Amino acid sequence: MKIKEGFILRDVAGQTIVVAVGKMSKNFNRIIKLNSTGKFIWEKLSSDIERDELVASLVAEYDIDEATASSDADKFIEALKGADILEC
Amino acid sequence: MFTVKLAGYTIRVDNRYDFVEKMCKQYISETDTVDFTVSVSTEDMENEKLLSPEEFSEGYLESLAIYRHIGEEIGRLGGFIFHSAVIEYKGKAYAFAAKSGTGKSTHIRLWRKAFGDGVGIVNGDKPIFRFVGDELYAYGTPWCGKEGFHRNVGVPLGAVCFIERGESNSIEQLPKKEFTEYVFNQVYMPENGESCLSILDMLDKMSETVKIYKLKCNMDIQAAYVARDGMVSEE
Repeated sequence: MKIKEGFILRDVAGQTIVVAVGKMSKNFNRIIKLNSTGKFIWEKLSSDIERDELVASLVAEYDIDEATASSDADKFIEALKGADILEC
Repeated sequence: MFTVKLAGYTIRVDNRYDFVEKMCKQYISETDTVDFTVSVSTEDMENEKLLSPEEFSEGYLESLAIYRHIGEEIGRLGGFIFHSAVIEYKGKAYAFAAKSGTGKSTHIRLWRKAFGDGVGIVNGDKPIFRFVGDELYAYGTPWCGKEGFHRNVGVPLGAVCFIERGESNSIEQLPKKEFTEYVFNQVYMPENGESCLSILDMLDKMSETVKIYKLKCNMDIQAAYVARDGMVSEE
């Protein structure tokens, strides 16, 4: 799965911001703010990645157990699916 | 068809109605080389109609669509539209931003009352901001809100001030962690990805270089003194 085309990510004033551009800007809450974990997951999902791979990368990056990483990843994935910005 | 110079950008406007050309008369340029050209499609007109809270003339709607296109293009050239009322005081520009109806116009009238001719208007509603070197400038444009406050000038920005209504008057600096929450609401964020990226980088630079304040104020003339004393340093 991966995030659809049409989003740009930048750090502004110490805050990670995602803005929808092009066609995506029409039917979308334009601006999303991400915390550091959100930014990490977003960047992973910018190129095609399997859920298990994503969970493994969270475990490695944040030194957390697999159950926590799974739950974090699933919550984020569900939110993106809910906003219809993830292609599976 | 006519050419304007706005915030240093030379823009050819391919218009159908006279309204926008009359509106731009203080900004007409005779230059042949232009940075970009804007024109308005039937679809753009429909779009503006949908976004308008009331029924406007075709000419006015065209002017809105033209400014939207200008907002799309200037991003990649280093500028952006910042929704605010901007005045000039002692050689610096002060931009007041607020939810509509909070009283930006009222507040700048208080400055005028308090400091007289020491206060000049830059733009009452939709100025263009642009970095000149490392300094952010505010430029007047004729898209300026219903009072018609604008002047064809570019002034280095002294500060940005977010206005909230209060019982009494007080001013404080905006904590950096609140920058995005406040500032993003005021910026015309283009749909064009390249312009958008460039604007995000400019906003980051703005957060490093421009002082931002929160003013709680009433409609008493004292509000202008509190704002001035909080933002303008004595030399």
